[in-house]
Amino acid sequence: MSSINATSLNLKLLLIGNSSVGKSSLLLRFTDDEFLSDEETAATIGVDFKVKSIELDGKKYKLSVWDTAGQERFRTLTSSYYRGAQGVVLVYDVSSWQTFDELLKWFKEIDTYCGEGVVKMIVGNKVDKEFSRQVTTDEGRAFAQRMGALFVECSAKTKLRVPEAFEEYWQHPHYGPRLLLHPCAGLSLSN
Amino acid sequence: MPTELPYAAEAETSLGYEELHVLKTQYYKEIEQGHVTTQSKFNYGWGLVKSGSAEYQTEGVKLLQEIYSASPAHRRECTYYIAVGYYKLKNYAYAKRFNDLLLSVEPENMQAQSLRTLIDQAVQRDGYIGMGLIAGAAAVTGLIVAGLVKRSRR
Repeated sequence: MSSINATSLNLKLLLIGNSSVGKSSLLLRFTDDEFLSDEETAATIGVDFKVKSIELDGKKYKLSVWDTAGQERFRTLTSSYYRGAQGVVLVYDVSSWQTFDELLKWFKEIDTYCGEGVVKMIVGNKVDKEFSRQVTTDEGRAFAQRMGALFVECSAKTKLRVPEAFEEYWQHPHYGPRLLLHPCAGLSLSN
Repeated sequence: MPTELPYAAEAETSLGYEELHVLKTQYYKEIEQGHVTTQSKFNYGWGLVKSGSAEYQTEGVKLLQEIYSASPAHRRECTYYIAVGYYKLKNYAYAKRFNDLLLSVEPENMQAQSLRTLIDQAVQRDGYIGMGLIAGAAAVTGLIVAGLVKRSRR
C-alpha cells in the first residue's frame, strides 16, 4: 500500500444547458468514447453522473461529471446537483440560437447556487452541423469573455475536440488551479 | 479509459438533510393549503427515494406510485425512480418490473439500462431472496384464496 498517492482527490464537474443540446452525448463521448444516434438517445431523467480517473500534475483525481436534465420540470431539484461542484460546464447547440440565448438563465442559476467563485466553461456543441449553424464562433467567444468563462466549440458526434474540451479545463493555467479552491455550497435553496 | 461506476450511480447518492427538508416543507405546506402540485410531490418523493433510510424510501415509492397513477405526463420519471426505490429496498422483482416498463418504451435509455445491470447484479448477489419472498407471498395468498373459495362453497 503506497501512502497518499493511493487515495485520489475528488473533482466534480456539472454539465448544464437546455434540453437536447447534447450534454449526455458529450459525457458519453468523454468517458466511454461512444456516440449514440438521435433514435438511440433518451432525455435524461433527473440527474446522473459518470466517474473517470484523470491525472493532473502527477496527482490522481477521481473526476465525476454530473449530467443534469435540461428539462424545466427538473430545475427545482437543481440545488442538490450543485453541491460540491468545482466547475460548471454550460453547453449550447451552435445550430440553435435559443440554446445560446438562454445561457444567461443558466448563469443566473450558477450565481444562485455557487456564487462567483466557481470556474465556468462554455461549450458550443454540434459543430458538425456547420450547414445549419446559428451561432458563430466569434459570438460564442465574445460572450464567454464577457462572462469570464472558458470557451470551446466541439462535436460529440465527430469527436472533434471532445477530450480536449474537458482537458483544457483543468490544465488551464488560470482556471485549472482555481477548480480546487471553490467548491459550490449548493445549499441556498430558493423555495 | 472505462468509467468506474455504472451510470445509474446517482441513485445511490442522498440529499443533505437541509435539502430534503426544503422539499418536505414545500410538500406539507401545499397539503395545508389544500392543493398539492405534482411537481412538489414528485420532488419530495424523489428526495425520499434517494435517502439512505428504508422507511423514507418506502414513503417515496408510495408518493411516486400515486403520481404514476394520477398523472400520465409524469409517468416516465416516476417509473424510473420507483424502480430505483424498489432496487434500494431490495425488492428486485418490483424494481425489475418498473424498470422493464421504462425499457419497453425506451429500449436505449442509458439510465434504465444501467439500472437493469445493477438489479441483475444484486439479484445474483443476494441469491434471489427478493424474488423468493414474492413467490412465497404469492403462494401464501394462493392458499388463502383457495381456503376462502373452499369455505364459500360449503
